[in-house]
Amino acid sequence: MSDPAAQALQPRLLQAQSGGSAGSSTATTGSGSGNSDPARPGLNQQQRASQKKAQVRAFPRAKKLEKLGVFSACKAIDTCKCNGWKNPNPPSAPRMDLQQQAASLSEPCRSCGHALADHVSHLENVSEDEINRLLGMVVDVENLFMSVHKEEDTDTKQVYFYLFKLLRKCILQMSQPVVEGSLGSPPFEKPNIEQGVLNFVQYKFSHLAPKERQTMFELSKMFLLCLNYWKLETPTQYRQRTQKDDGTAYKVDYTRWLCYCHVPQSNDSLPRYETTHVFGRSLLKSIFTVTRRQLLEKFRVEKDKLLPEKRTLILTHFPKFLSMLEEEIYGENSPIWEADFTMPASEGTQLGHHTVISPAAVSGSPALPKGLSSMSSLGSMESGGAEPITGEKRKVPEALTLEDAKRIRVMGDIPMELVNEVMMTITDPAAMLGPETNLLTPNAARDETARLEERRGIIEFHVIGNSLSQKSNKKILMWLVGLQNVFSHQLPRMPKEYITRLVFDPKHKTLALIKDGRVIGGICFRMFPTQGFTEIVFCAVTSNEQVKGYGTHLMNHLKEYHIKHNILYFLTYADEYAIGYFKKQGFSKDIKVPKSRYLGYIKDYEGATLMECELNPRIPYTELSHIIKRQKEIIKKLIERKQSQIRKVYPGLTCFKEGVRQIPVESIPGIRETGWKPSIKDKGKEVKDPDVLYNMLKNLLAQIKTHPDAWPFMEPVKKSEAPDYYEIIRFPIDLKTMTERLKNRYYVTKKLFIADLQRIITNCREYNLPDSEYCKCANTLEKFFYFKLKDGGLIEK
Amino acid sequence: MQTENKSQSPPSPYYRTKLRGLYTTARADAEAECSILRHALDKIAEIKSLLEERRIAAKMAGVYSDSDPPRKTMRRGVLMTLLQQSAMTLPLWIGNPPPLCGATPASSDYVAKQGDKVAARVKAVDGDEQWILAEVVSYNHSTNKYEVDDIDEEGKERHTLSRRRIIPLPQWKANPETDPEALFSKDQLVLALYPQTTCFYRALIHTPPHRPQDDYSVLFEDTSYADGYSPPLNVAQRYVVACKENKKK
Repeated sequence: MSDPAAQALQPRLLQAQSGGSAGSSTATTGSGSGNSDPARPGLNQQQRASQKKAQVRAFPRAKKLEKLGVFSACKAIDTCKCNGWKNPNPPSAPRMDLQQQAASLSEPCRSCGHALADHVSHLENVSEDEINRLLGMVVDVENLFMSVHKEEDTDTKQVYFYLFKLLRKCILQMSQPVVEGSLGSPPFEKPNIEQGVLNFVQYKFSHLAPKERQTMFELSKMFLLCLNYWKLETPTQYRQRTQKDDGTAYKVDYTRWLCYCHVPQSNDSLPRYETTHVFGRSLLKSIFTVTRRQLLEKFRVEKDKLLPEKRTLILTHFPKFLSMLEEEIYGENSPIWEADFTMPASEGTQLGHHTVISPAAVSGSPALPKGLSSMSSLGSMESGGAEPITGEKRKVPEALTLEDAKRIRVMGDIPMELVNEVMMTITDPAAMLGPETNLLTPNAARDETARLEERRGIIEFHVIGNSLSQKSNKKILMWLVGLQNVFSHQLPRMPKEYITRLVFDPKHKTLALIKDGRVIGGICFRMFPTQGFTEIVFCAVTSNEQVKGYGTHLMNHLKEYHIKHNILYFLTYADEYAIGYFKKQGFSKDIKVPKSRYLGYIKDYEGATLMECELNPRIPYTELSHIIKRQKEIIKKLIERKQSQIRKVYPGLTCFKEGVRQIPVESIPGIRETGWKPSIKDKGKEVKDPDVLYNMLKNLLAQIKTHPDAWPFMEPVKKSEAPDYYEIIRFPIDLKTMTERLKNRYYVTKKLFIADLQRIITNCREYNLPDSEYCKCANTLEKFFYFKLKDGGLIEK
Repeated sequence: MQTENKSQSPPSPYYRTKLRGLYTTARADAEAECSILRHALDKIAEIKSLLEERRIAAKMAGVYSDSDPPRKTMRRGVLMTLLQQSAMTLPLWIGNPPPLCGATPASSDYVAKQGDKVAARVKAVDGDEQWILAEVVSYNHSTNKYEVDDIDEEGKERHTLSRRRIIPLPQWKANPETDPEALFSKDQLVLALYPQTTCFYRALIHTPPHRPQDDYSVLFEDTSYADGYSPPLNVAQRYVVACKENKKK
């Protein structure tokens, strides 16, 4: 209980449960034995029970025996079936206990007539401790008896009654109470809720500054504490809320919760377990939605009672915290519930900040005590631990294909079964023909080899960084030196001292590529979480390991790392040799991040080009090319199937040889039989009225013709000026010809018009040198008319 | 006990004959296996040469037919993989090493065939001389000049070079276990293909291969390292040739 937030909260929660001091809790309070006791309004059930026990245990021995006799079988003669002494002079009210004299041992039982002594003879030589233990059970039995009476919910009542009988039996036999039956024994699920939530905090917030992370950790502790004292809804309420006919699973969990968590809170004869220790994700799934609502409502109602600093914490962060947690509870592939979840990636981030995490958090995270805890192995994260990666790796594409299948199903033309069947033939290696060719196929994805090597453990990826506050692991320091060497050899124009300074700067981190224990490449980067971007500082692969796809795979790992840490923009100053690489990795010279966000943060290099890459959190980058390859295979298979179904060969089209430029797709023989339908979407975009289109195009053409750079394209190229022009350019076109075509109503679709415009440009580029006057004109004109096309809504912006 | 005594005494003539018979059969079997293996190797060589012929034919067709769109160049990574595979599948010579096996140079009058891979000394755009990996297109016997294609960016760059600018690459691997003399020895100056590139650079042999499938470990001349040499890098037998010139560039 070191957490102040938790301490502040706990009593209030208990109150809420016991007496309904807060309005919101009444919804959940189905039972509440002894709640209505008007004599002690301030005390909760647990306190009352322990008070009562202390009272009873302070009784003189005779009085204790009388109390136990009530629950002890008569031993006068073998045939006596009496299982408890009944006082022939019943007290007028249960509260009179204190005042009343203890009954004498010779007092006969009201039901069997034998003396009290006959009922308690087995207790003669029993120790005072054991007597006290039995008395505790007696108190609990009495309380349970009350609960059974007051309880209105049938399911709960049943459980109370069962526990009541169980405890009675235990007093009778002087045994330890053990809940038997089909409930199983705790823990019921692993990892438990506490572990999952702590994993969640690490998973989502470990990149934050220590103070913010501490906040999140406090919130998680508070949430766990609330759950431990929270009252679950009854199976009936659950069924009503979820509209599910079958609440069996929930009912089992509810019964477990009553027997092991809830009832033992006030009934210490029964062994008590914390809800968050013995239950796992499945219970959380059933209760989270409603619990969240109640929790937030409760905090809202009670906000004035909260400490001011806690108030901001709870009211501002808690809703977001719960929403993020919700994603992980209901999400398909959340890693926080994996039995061997480790958060290696965050360790790299936390390097040097470990001391800030409170000790409780450290004990909750299994990754920390390990030797290499201060670096992250992306590989092991994906593989979910030491297990061979194959099993886990398959998960990602599968999840995606399922999603894709859904999309296809929405379109309504490919049944799921067919997709699954096709998937089978692709996944099943036996159904494939020929030897494995992945290394030889020229169209294998760029990162295919690298991905395979990572899977086989030939290469590894780790995010590492230096720390000033903490002594760094020797291996990491060696790797940092290795990175510095690779960068300085591959980037000869960067001063070595500068590289060293940044690689060893604790604010910079580096994704290192390791092969045979040695650094062969890496990307040095600096995260600016507050600015929402990361700067790529250095990026290199050692020369003898280049063109193997490592650079692509490195960048993909870096992208996934950033998606996990919620940074979705990369910025970098690329020199002329690096631009090509960054373009292949999805970087562009179009910068979407507002200048104010990066100016003064990113290192500016003279003569370099600023490039940006926007990340899409839905894309599993390291698997992307593999997934696309799979999708292509599926499409190919589907086409093959369709072809084998139709079994008809049409002669090819001849109209194009006869000079026709374009025909409607639906007029191609056989195309309708394949199930092809004209796309409604395209139809919708097309300007339907031919006159409207005509006028738009006419207007546009006029604007293009008046553009100052349009002069080279006004008329057909004269053979006298360029004798070989018509040998090189097969489809000449110019603005005059286009004007004529427009007049003749040739441009029935905007597509035809745009194609001709584009051809003017491509022809020009084909015939002329890139830095010629003509090409310069073509460049400006192209930009101009695309701008106009967008402006006029003819193409998408 | 009886049998043990027997085995110690000289074998009877019957068993001696029997043993001789078994040895003869075993030898015949081994020879048969050998010939089957050789036969299979011949078949593989035949298939490879057919594939090579086809490849050359396709290449020629590609060069001479104008109507087809220009062939897309291979991605560099794929080219590198192909080069590695070609080095790995280079046949191992069994027996007395002939010319073009391991470090054994070609005879002085040797003319490389069409399609053979060679190291070719070309003038780069910036005027520097460079040894590149190239493929022989033709040899003109009257001018004694080769036409070669740069292996990179197929068909785009063709060079006409005199014989002395061409070094044919080995066509067989030498077996380090049986013919270590047919390999370059430690500290010998060679031209070696820098890993993951298509250029040969001067290098010193660091360690020769120990087994047939091993690579050389070489130290490339590299001024960016303090001692003037790169750390040891692996290069296959296929891509290590003798360095003629001794003067430094």
